[in-house]
Amino acid sequence: MLASRRFSNINRKLPSTLQISQKPVFDNGENRAETLYLKNKNMKLLQVNDLRKYFPIQKGIFQRTVGYVKAVDGISFDVQRGETLGLVGESGCGKTTAGRCLLRLIPATSGSFIFGEEQVDLAKLTHREMQPFRKRIQMIFQDPHASLNPRMTVADIVGEPMRVNRTEKGTALQDRIVELLESVGLRSQDMRRYPHAFSGGQRQRIGIARALALQPELIVADEPVSALDVSVQAQILNLLAELREQFNLSYIFIAHDLSVVEHISDRVAVMYLGKIVEISDAETLYQSPQHPYTEALISAVPLPDPNAQRKREHIRLEGDVPDPSQPPTGCYFHPRCRYATDLCKQETPKLREVTPGVQVACHHSDTLELQGV
Amino acid sequence: MASTQETSYQEPLLEISGLKTVFPTDDGIVNAVNDVSFSIARGQTVGVVGESGCGKSITGLSLLQLVPSPGRIEAGEILFYRNGGDEPLDIAQVQPKSELIRQIRGNEIAIIFQEPMTSLNPVYTVGDQIAEAVALHQQVDKKTAHERAIEMLVRVGIPAPTQRVDEYPHQLSGGMRQRVMIAMALCCSPTLLIADEPTTALDVTIQAQVLGLMQELQAEMGMAIMLITHDLGVIADLADEVVVMYAGRVVERGRVDDIFYNPLHPYTQGLLRSIPVLGRTVQKTLPSIPGTVPHPLALPTGCSFQPRCPERMPECEQMPELEITSDGTQAVRCWLHADSAT
Ligand SMILES: Nc1ncnc2c1ncn2[C@@H]1O[C@H](COP(=O)(O)OP(=O)(O)O)[C@@H](O)[C@H]1O
Ligand SMILES: Nc1ncnc2c1ncn2[C@@H]1O[C@H](COP(=O)(O)OP(=O)(O)O)[C@@H](O)[C@H]1O
Ligand code: SF4
Ligand code: SF4
Ligand SMILES: [Mg+2]
Ligand SMILES: [Mg+2]
Repeated sequence: MLASRRFSNINRKLPSTLQISQKPVFDNGENRAETLYLKNKNMKLLQVNDLRKYFPIQKGIFQRTVGYVKAVDGISFDVQRGETLGLVGESGCGKTTAGRCLLRLIPATSGSFIFGEEQVDLAKLTHREMQPFRKRIQMIFQDPHASLNPRMTVADIVGEPMRVNRTEKGTALQDRIVELLESVGLRSQDMRRYPHAFSGGQRQRIGIARALALQPELIVADEPVSALDVSVQAQILNLLAELREQFNLSYIFIAHDLSVVEHISDRVAVMYLGKIVEISDAETLYQSPQHPYTEALISAVPLPDPNAQRKREHIRLEGDVPDPSQPPTGCYFHPRCRYATDLCKQETPKLREVTPGVQVACHHSDTLELQGV
Repeated sequence: MASTQETSYQEPLLEISGLKTVFPTDDGIVNAVNDVSFSIARGQTVGVVGESGCGKSITGLSLLQLVPSPGRIEAGEILFYRNGGDEPLDIAQVQPKSELIRQIRGNEIAIIFQEPMTSLNPVYTVGDQIAEAVALHQQVDKKTAHERAIEMLVRVGIPAPTQRVDEYPHQLSGGMRQRVMIAMALCCSPTLLIADEPTTALDVTIQAQVLGLMQELQAEMGMAIMLITHDLGVIADLADEVVVMYAGRVVERGRVDDIFYNPLHPYTQGLLRSIPVLGRTVQKTLPSIPGTVPHPLALPTGCSFQPRCPERMPECEQMPELEITSDGTQAVRCWLHADSAT
């Protein structure tokens, strides 16, 4: 075992570009590597069923519960191995909460998440039982500044998960840190520096290196490029796409607008007020959206093309996302929907499959002719 | 060098030339804004774009003598053609604490920022703050000022304005706070609104509302807008003219269509290529500009874009001048487009 680890350390020193077509070298448990490698892409890695997260609203001196913020209100989706699912919607629609539930950073109110070939329901595990799974699902955060401890060096930050989980130590740990830094495009000399010495994009790379440290299978990336300049966004998005190929990763990629996720997602789920309103493969979603909210989100992204922008019909949504503790009746989107009818005010539409692979929650999606890009 | 005079058919409002704003620091002098020249015509929207740290905000603040200390304007002119005045006023020469600049701020040139929470006072109601802005510049009694405040809230599309007027900033959503900022900025009908990343912190849907509102108010009130943003989509949506900044300097400027369909500077070209365009980038590698903006105290010699430029040549060891193209509508700072370079 020691020998094989040393061997793989040699591999690890190769520049990341040379490794793209190789089998994943991120193996410290040999069996895992075998199974990982044998997995074909179309296997389900995660299946989320009817996930709910209700935050109680408490009032008065007795902290009586007077209602609930239904931050996530019954969402179901799956993620295939090697796939990226984009999760999109305006701020406050429950994306971060959903991600935090999946990582068990907060307990879900109800729902199940069946994970891995073991088909384990993560929601049912005790804290202890959850331990081995924690390594396999990691999170990358929006604000690389806030999520990195300013008093730790880059080596400490990236090495921490391995130290805590005792996966590597001594020189193997050092080698591994160098390898991780190189795979995200940082230099080994950066190890001894502190986060403040890095630009926003570089800090996000540090966050990505840390997330990769325990060889996860699934990464929940919560708005990882929202705080970055466009040119740097492109660098990070390309890096994430490259790492996905290299290490056969799956992503749940959270964003508040559609322009960023398109590039990296195989499929996209659009959320509104705690519910998924449309889910389909990326191309179809952008070309022919089926839900009025998706149409509005597409229309709201200003195109960097003045002529196209002038010609385009602009659908402007009025008002803000409603308060999730007091959602509207019927279809939650009806107060802002330009196609709403009386039926929409009374009945909540169910998410249903309209064509293979495309699910929509709208009473009128069959008759509406919606505008894509 | 080609001429530095531009033939303009529009009535000028602001002509900035050779503006240089510096910050003395322990490690040396930061030239935050360096030899910046462009103009804004009445009623026009000029977009200023570039990556973080390129000097966009400091340019905007310089126009109002609001550069935070120890920063100061070191050179250049900011000629402001005021209503009713024959001669332009050079704002660069006006003292930052003078009565004159106080009158201009808010009354004639207003500014709004990315995060309205930092400009709104959390302990006063929205109505009181707008009323104060009105009272500061116009001789009206308290009651009239309060009525003006409600009027402005109506105008910026705040629902239930008579109720909202008595609320505090934290009770409003981000989009509504930005509307309140716009209401305060426009209550005295300024001739120029400087909007520094006004929608960067907002969701796209709310951004579309706020940008739409700015356009409507501009059509109504006729003010010019200097729109600072790093989002080229926002520029394409609103701007008539575009100024592209890099490392404190203007590297290219021109009409919006020219900048998007005929960008001359390699930096402008790189920026345009690296933005994901909705509907065109499904599962493709995005071209990106390698590297990052250099630290202002560690600028490369010659052209500041050199280390990241795919077209770098030996000449680039010297700083190119901002030169105006032969048709006079576009200007670019790059040796590839310098007619004097031989
Ligand atoms: N700890 C919490 N307690 C109460 N409400 C919360 C908590 N965390 C999030 N929320 C509420 O849940 C909703 C969804 O929030 P979030 O998941 O952060 O949305 P998003 O990531 O899509 O912007 C919001 O209305 C938010 O205010
Ligand atoms: N108070 C300050 N002290 C020193 N340098 C500053 C200060 N404020 C801004 N700068 C520098 O001025 C440059 C331009 O900043 P800024 O105008 O804020 O850029 P932008 O708005 O384009 O992101 C940056 O390099 C920044 O570091
Ligand atoms: S169900 Fe009705 S209100 Fe809801 S999205 Fe469809 S048309 Fe609009
Ligand atoms: S001057 Fe040279 S380095 Fe600078 S942008 Fe032009 S070609 Fe590139
Ligand atoms: Mg979030
Ligand atoms: Mg700025």
